[in-house]
Amino acid sequence: MATTVTNIEKLVGKRIRRKEDPRLITGTATYVEDIKLPGMHHAVIVRSPHGAANIKGVDISKAAALPGVAAVFTGADITGVGSVVCGADLPGLRKPVHHILAQSRVYYVGHPVAVVVATDRYIAADGADLVEVDYEVTQAVTDPEKALAEGAPAVHPEWPDNKAFVFLQKGGDMEKAFADAEVVVKQRITSQRLVPNAMETRGVVADWLQAEHSLTLFTSTQIPHLARTILAGQLGIDENRVRVVAPEVGGGFGSKLNVYAEEALMGFISRKIGKPVKWIESRRENFLVTIHGRGHVDYFEIAAKRDGTILGLKLKLIQDLGAYHQLLTPAIPTLSVLMMPGLYNFRNIDAEVIGTFTNCVPTDAYRGAGRPEATHGIERMVDLLAAELNMDPAVIRFKNFVQPDQFPFPTATGLNYDSGDYGATLQKALDTIGYDDLRKQQAAARLEGRLMGIGISTYGELCAFGPSPATPAGGWESATVRVEPSGKVTIHTGTSPHGQGQETSFAQLAADELGVSMDDIVVLHGDTSVIPYGIGTFGSRNTAVGGPALFYALQDIKEKVKKFGKMLLKSENVVFENGKCTCQVSGKEVTFQTIAGAAYRAMQLPPDTDPGLVATKFWEPSNFAFPFGAHIIVSEVDRETGQIEIKRYVAVDDIGNQLNPLLVEGQVHGGAAQGLGQALWEHGIYDDNGQLMTGEFMDYAMPRASMMPWVECSHTTTPSPVNPLGVKGVGEAGTIGSTPAMVNSVMDALMPLGIRHLDMPLTPEKVWKAINGAA
Amino acid sequence: MKIAGSAQLPFSPERTYDLMQDPVLLAKAIPGCEALQKTGDDEYSLKMKMVLASLSGAFDGKVRLTEPDRPNSFRMVVEGSGKIGFMKGDGLLRLTPKDGGTEVAYEGDAQIGGTMAAVGNRMIDMTARMLIKRFFEKLSAEPAA
Amino acid sequence: MIANAFEYTAPQSLDEALGLIAGGAKPLSGGMSLIPMMKLRLAAPEHLVDLARLKELNYIREENGELHIGAAVTHYEVESSPLLLGKCPLLAETAAHIGDIQVRNMGTLGGSVAHADPASDYPAALQALEAGIVLRSAGGARTVSAKDFFIDTFTTALEPGEIVSEIVVPVEPGLTGTSYQKCKHQASGFAVVGIAVRARRENGVVSLIRVGVTGLSGSSYRAENVEAALQGVEPTGEAIRAAAGLVAHSVDASADMQASSEYRKHLASVYTAKAIHAALSRSA
Ligand SMILES: Cc1cc2nc3c(=O)[nH]c(=O)nc-3n(C[C@H](O)[C@H](O)[C@H](O)COP(=O)(O)OP(=O)(O)OC[C@H]3O[C@@H](n4cnc5c(N)ncnc54)[C@H](O)[C@@H]3O)c2cc1C
Repeated sequence: MATTVTNIEKLVGKRIRRKEDPRLITGTATYVEDIKLPGMHHAVIVRSPHGAANIKGVDISKAAALPGVAAVFTGADITGVGSVVCGADLPGLRKPVHHILAQSRVYYVGHPVAVVVATDRYIAADGADLVEVDYEVTQAVTDPEKALAEGAPAVHPEWPDNKAFVFLQKGGDMEKAFADAEVVVKQRITSQRLVPNAMETRGVVADWLQAEHSLTLFTSTQIPHLARTILAGQLGIDENRVRVVAPEVGGGFGSKLNVYAEEALMGFISRKIGKPVKWIESRRENFLVTIHGRGHVDYFEIAAKRDGTILGLKLKLIQDLGAYHQLLTPAIPTLSVLMMPGLYNFRNIDAEVIGTFTNCVPTDAYRGAGRPEATHGIERMVDLLAAELNMDPAVIRFKNFVQPDQFPFPTATGLNYDSGDYGATLQKALDTIGYDDLRKQQAAARLEGRLMGIGISTYGELCAFGPSPATPAGGWESATVRVEPSGKVTIHTGTSPHGQGQETSFAQLAADELGVSMDDIVVLHGDTSVIPYGIGTFGSRNTAVGGPALFYALQDIKEKVKKFGKMLLKSENVVFENGKCTCQVSGKEVTFQTIAGAAYRAMQLPPDTDPGLVATKFWEPSNFAFPFGAHIIVSEVDRETGQIEIKRYVAVDDIGNQLNPLLVEGQVHGGAAQGLGQALWEHGIYDDNGQLMTGEFMDYAMPRASMMPWVECSHTTTPSPVNPLGVKGVGEAGTIGSTPAMVNSVMDALMPLGIRHLDMPLTPEKVWKAINGAA
Repeated sequence: MKIAGSAQLPFSPERTYDLMQDPVLLAKAIPGCEALQKTGDDEYSLKMKMVLASLSGAFDGKVRLTEPDRPNSFRMVVEGSGKIGFMKGDGLLRLTPKDGGTEVAYEGDAQIGGTMAAVGNRMIDMTARMLIKRFFEKLSAEPAA
Repeated sequence: MIANAFEYTAPQSLDEALGLIAGGAKPLSGGMSLIPMMKLRLAAPEHLVDLARLKELNYIREENGELHIGAAVTHYEVESSPLLLGKCPLLAETAAHIGDIQVRNMGTLGGSVAHADPASDYPAALQALEAGIVLRSAGGARTVSAKDFFIDTFTTALEPGEIVSEIVVPVEPGLTGTSYQKCKHQASGFAVVGIAVRARRENGVVSLIRVGVTGLSGSSYRAENVEAALQGVEPTGEAIRAAAGLVAHSVDASADMQASSEYRKHLASVYTAKAIHAALSRSA
């Protein structure tokens, strides 16, 4: 007898609203700041106001005497606590010892010098005001190029040249490329320092239980498991006696892909005073001491034929590292180098990265981490080359794209692009925006003296970190599916989503696989005592690495469900679909929920089968995934004021298959906001003495909703062959694609004035000066 | 941060120069100055209290007058630090006769650090301008000889 | 970001408030400027007196051809008041340019005027409107013109013990057009320059023009040279451009990372021309 299976509607691929949102928008989510423990104390940190100084003395007597102050610690007290960990390694890398409290010197404004612990936060702040630090100010250096100059002040006296490393990457035959070249275009391009500015600043609550010799640490982090391993090491506590919880995390963007001094410091304090202790970073501290992003000075040279064929690209990259290495600081510019070739077919590259110490807060991963810098560089260079050759920027791109039949495509930098059809995204973007017509409008506008620009960026990105050899600490991810006796499903993911929406998309995936309602599924993450070891959330990896781990765990569950189904239906001819096992002969059914109950009740078990219904999978991809896309921005520059107006923004992204297009668009919009922020507004500026001149929102121009254009999102779909879901990653795509599209658009607008290049951010005054200078 | 500007004083360059080297007058003219004491050649210790809008802070610091070239130019360095931060102004003052008086053109660097730096760049510029303006206004009020 | 300890009083009456202020307590209105300074510990008042809740400072009314606006009226109330939208649209338009909606819901007209931030918006409008500012202390009240009230960076005609209690604006015949044009600082949202214009065109010539400027320098001011250049003149594009070009003449223009003095001065003339055009187009 044939059974008709009524197909329940699949959820994967649907625009489903986030399950996370109700608690977030009703203010009922629990962030670190919301955690209150009995007897909890509060810590306020005394920080250096100087960029570089010797500490001649710290007088804590007045602070310690303040009623309510429980303890004051300085650099002398933290012996035995390990220093802040840098997880990146490069040949010859110089790693300064990064103590959790300054010892005899401070290296940047905000450097922690002492910490005051009190019964409430007000007293702790009063106490911090009473700590007297005697500084002998020395000369600072904050500009990486100045730091490399002869005779510059040494950030670390032991390394007077301020070089942390020099990293070389060569591919192909550069000499031949330049010998064959008919045209060479050179440009210095900077990618300024940016302050990540997650909406929630960092915060830590540490709770040491002496009787159990255990530490629970709530921290606003993207990597709870890695943080646990590192903190256990720093504090000398057994790893299984440290529990790290990432409660609700209000944004990270890479700035919480780190383990900071304050995390170990709070663990140390809680253990010392025998009380829980809380530290919440102020916004001012967040500006000063949480990692910054970007910080490049790049010297590019591109070699090409007169017909527009690109032959090779040279790069000298000076990375402003700041005073120390945080978790991945030195690795970030090496990612830039890997993505230097962009989407183009040329095989010759030659890059030199000079990692430079400065008296600034360290740079590290910030949304895109290395790839926005690379993309901005290559996309600007391609536009400059097009201008030099008088070619249309779209035409030169089509000419140089890696072609669909070339995949997997080995690049000159040693990567292997997984799949793509670059021409298709660009064509779709051009069609969507009406490119040919726009160029006509532009010609007419130019005749009227108006400065209209059309900027194209075709970006490629490496993400979904990644195979373990290429990812510090491992490039796999874990997932556990726990079917409860009632048939409700609890998913544990080793990723640590904080805005990416996996509580929704993973539930969609599991609902489809198991044929249960999404409402029957809970996705848990971010607690090392609940979740098996995982790597965490960064590098657009949740769906592409965490997703397959979940997918395979679900397959294991389905296998076991089928075994129970066969047993209960007394038939070998059983299918599991739509939440039911059905005997294809008798048509009899048994539901997933019944099977779950049977698996736990265990009155009877299928052969070679254990009770229970739980599966855990660790999964590692064989390669990165490489999303790509084309972003086009139309803008107009006001001649009189230099102000820029964004007229239209079209984004066509190819991120492989999409679990939830609504989440994808959210990521593109958010990413575009940050990318436009870099292009137009944001800049972390240090003065020569090490003061952060844009250290609060009065001076640091964060993009706001009201400043954003509408981003017209669409996509093409080229599944990734690297994982069973065919997904790539979209967390960073918007940030990477948007910046060069914006800058190219403005430079295109200014082209009639003979202005070749301006560095970001394109502030109105900068543009106005360029217009006036050109006139 | 660069600070540059000029002020017109109703005195001869010599008189202007001397006024600006006179610790008693400096104490009167430096806004918020509570005490100015000679501590060495061309160097004075300074106590000042700044009240501006809702901001208020006490500073301990010093004033140095260097590179004397009477009546053409000299350099003035003012430094102060207190609970709310620190500041340093270092500027060259050039005196030229103009319209029967003297134009004092100043050009230098102002630095600010600590919490005070968190009020924003524009505040610092505006405040520096106002303090300089007040300084010259006080000086102008002195008798001509 | 944690303030020093302080005392807080929500007085029952204006008299009680003025008494406390006479004794050295500091007024608190919307707290939008004061509280951030306190949280940074750059301000540490010992005693705050909350004016924002006083009914006696919370009104917008028309009396004898004048509009009276209590100091505790919020920016949002100014922006959305039907009375002001009808009879003094310039003030409502200006209020709508302030900060963001949260700031406008909390911040007050009196607080902003008393604070006299050189980049705040209201002063430009008050200058152009030739508004009166009523200052009140335990000892009585006096009215000062906007022109005399704003003295310098954060410096006003307020004496110790005095508060701003009311703003008075004359109601004008319908012929007058007004406009506020602001170049927003990309980070803070304050005015890089803000120009308020009140103007009337009669028989083809400018019969009245007032130009209030904020953001450009240490204090708001009336650009009387611009006014003089256009008074009685046919407002051609050329005439307006030339007059607007005078707005920053001999002004010690501020500078920050967003805009140098030179650029600010240039912006001032561009925005002045815009504001004059807009105001005249709304005249009659
Ligand atoms: C994010 C942000 C953006 C902003 N953007 C703008 C902007 O674009 N344009 C703009 O103009 N402003 C802006 N502001 C400032 C805002 O308008 C404030 O509301 C205003 O400057 C102060 O008003 P307040 O009622 O909040 O006063 P408060 O902060 O309560 O007080 C400010 C000062 O005035 C004193 N004071 C208060 N009321 C009185 C009174 N009645 N009499 C005498 N003294 C008094 C207080 O003692 C204090 O010294 C912004 C503020 C913020 C936080």
